[in-house]
Amino acid sequence: MTSSSQFKQLEKLGNGTYATVYKGLNKTTGVYVALKEVKLDSEEGTPSTAIREISLMKELKHENIVRLYDVIHTENKLTLVFEYMDNDLKKYMDSRTVGNNPQGLELSLVKYFHWQLLEGVSFCHESKILHRDLKPQNLLINNKGQLKLGDFGLARAFGIPVNTFSSEVVTLWYRAPDVLMGSRTYSTSIDMWSCGCILAEMITGKPLFPGTNDEEQLKLIFEIMGTPNESTWSGVSSLPKYNPNFSQKLPRDLRTILQPHTKEPLDDNLINLLHGLLQLNPDMRLSAKQALHHPWFAEYYQHP
Amino acid sequence: MTTVQANAVNIPSSKKGIPGKPPNYKRLSDDDLFRHSSQYRFWSFTPEQLEQRRIEVNAQAVQSIEQDLRNFIDARSTELNEEEIKTIENRAVPVNMEEELKLVNLYAKKVQTIAQRLNLPTEIVATSITFFRRFYLENSVMKIEPKAIVLTTIFLACKSENYFIGIDSFCEKTRGDKEQVLKYEFPLLESLKFSLLSHHPYRPLHGFFLDIQAVLHGKVDLSYMGHIYDRCKKRITDALLTDAVYFYSPPQITLAVLMLEDEALTTRYLELKFHGNDTNQGNAEDEASRGNGNVTIQLDKLMKIVTNCSKLIEKPTTVPVEEAKSIAARLYFCQNPDDLLKKMKKRKADEQDSSVPVKKPKTE
Repeated sequence: MTSSSQFKQLEKLGNGTYATVYKGLNKTTGVYVALKEVKLDSEEGTPSTAIREISLMKELKHENIVRLYDVIHTENKLTLVFEYMDNDLKKYMDSRTVGNNPQGLELSLVKYFHWQLLEGVSFCHESKILHRDLKPQNLLINNKGQLKLGDFGLARAFGIPVNTFSSEVVTLWYRAPDVLMGSRTYSTSIDMWSCGCILAEMITGKPLFPGTNDEEQLKLIFEIMGTPNESTWSGVSSLPKYNPNFSQKLPRDLRTILQPHTKEPLDDNLINLLHGLLQLNPDMRLSAKQALHHPWFAEYYQHP
Repeated sequence: MTTVQANAVNIPSSKKGIPGKPPNYKRLSDDDLFRHSSQYRFWSFTPEQLEQRRIEVNAQAVQSIEQDLRNFIDARSTELNEEEIKTIENRAVPVNMEEELKLVNLYAKKVQTIAQRLNLPTEIVATSITFFRRFYLENSVMKIEPKAIVLTTIFLACKSENYFIGIDSFCEKTRGDKEQVLKYEFPLLESLKFSLLSHHPYRPLHGFFLDIQAVLHGKVDLSYMGHIYDRCKKRITDALLTDAVYFYSPPQITLAVLMLEDEALTTRYLELKFHGNDTNQGNAEDEASRGNGNVTIQLDKLMKIVTNCSKLIEKPTTVPVEEAKSIAARLYFCQNPDDLLKKMKKRKADEQDSSVPVKKPKTE
């Protein structure tokens, strides 16, 4: 068991879903870590969010998932010692804004990041764990170009049956249409929608569907992806928040929308992958494993 | 201040450094997944390893209890008479490894009873039992008495399984002491090495039931299947009270339970599954997955594992109440030799009292 005196607390890195994160230095090894401090509420003991995050992170050892090294208990707080990452994708993209104009990333970097994102998500899903809150802020990157999934504060294990999830998950902009319409039977597809949104955002530097409330969020999605109906998505009309009076939109061409925001030409493979991830119908959405096998990534798997 | 080295991200320019994966790299099998799990990494043992562990936990506690008792006697060398010292030496004997195990088993059963009385979902009852038993692979009953930890394990199991019950309502329902429940939460987490996600055999049971109905389609009665499903679930919960959980994987335990419930059905299912007939559709898939260069499971080997596992599951873990009581009493006297002496004095006094004629009432 490591003691807290082994770490020197440095500057604050940010606030997680239920804790404050500091940069720390392991005085023995000289290695930087991220210290996630959880206040112990004496009323209920260790917060269940922390218990759940610890429980899941213990199972997820993967190069694209941030590692939980240790848990330290002191009188009134619990400290989760995580692998340190230099930055997160949100801050990284913000730092590249020129004037008021967000800039997309080079496509080769988009591809490398997205591949790693999918690797991490795929591992979670195979481990029967949903992340449920994928967004650029939760994707940690370092100077080596590595990307890792972090903040599993909202994640949960899934099994059978999967019908009792709350819909209060996933930051609005990355939330899947089925969840927005009140579906409670979602599974791995919820994370795949977020992956699609993140992919588009990396290309253009701007969030694809920046809604401010549930209603507007759906409207923004339908404006680009088209309004679903029973013929394009069987079962959609029985979702709790489905509204037959949704304004009817036809799907628009993703390339036309995204191309003006990037200097590099978007190829068919990339557009096709985006379509696969941004399927309105969750059953039609690509799985992480399928996405990794998509031709857009062909150059990666030709590597010996 | 932080220098955000935002622009220092290197894209590997050539393919150097990019993790290369062959186009069809394997999906993790459920067995791979289990071997990666913290349950397998931390809580799976050979029988020898498990015994060694229990011996060590016990030996350490015995050593420290004996030291405490010696200190107790030394500190009172002037006041204690020979008889009293003898009483301590004879009656405050630390419990041995087998006795510890008996107490743990007894209280594990209590965990189950209480958790079930709370109407918790089966999986959470299972997790409670699992946490409790694992705690005593790290701690001796002589150091933290089982009674103290029972409610904490259930409380923590609820939290970790996302079935939150507030401490007040939990304590009201269990007539527990709030402070006591919370006091042991962290020691428990620590002893569990923060490995909280449990793979129980209920999920494999569900899988096997679906598969049995597919493989033996039209040859099994569905209402009968439903009937034995519930019985298997109960058997699984009982199996979690045995050491089978440390030696066998959840699906192996499930098969053992199925075998105990209906040997003929399970054998027929496994034989068809492994040998089948060539027209069987599922078979092509099986062949493919077996030919994957992976593990080739042989039916006879599997049967041997399953049989051994069922033998272990069948062994009763129950302890006669009287025996458990006497172990618990000794445990108590080890920790509280003072009380042992008081009890001895009281008994003596009682004996003298009864030898005195009853007529004469005490005046004082």
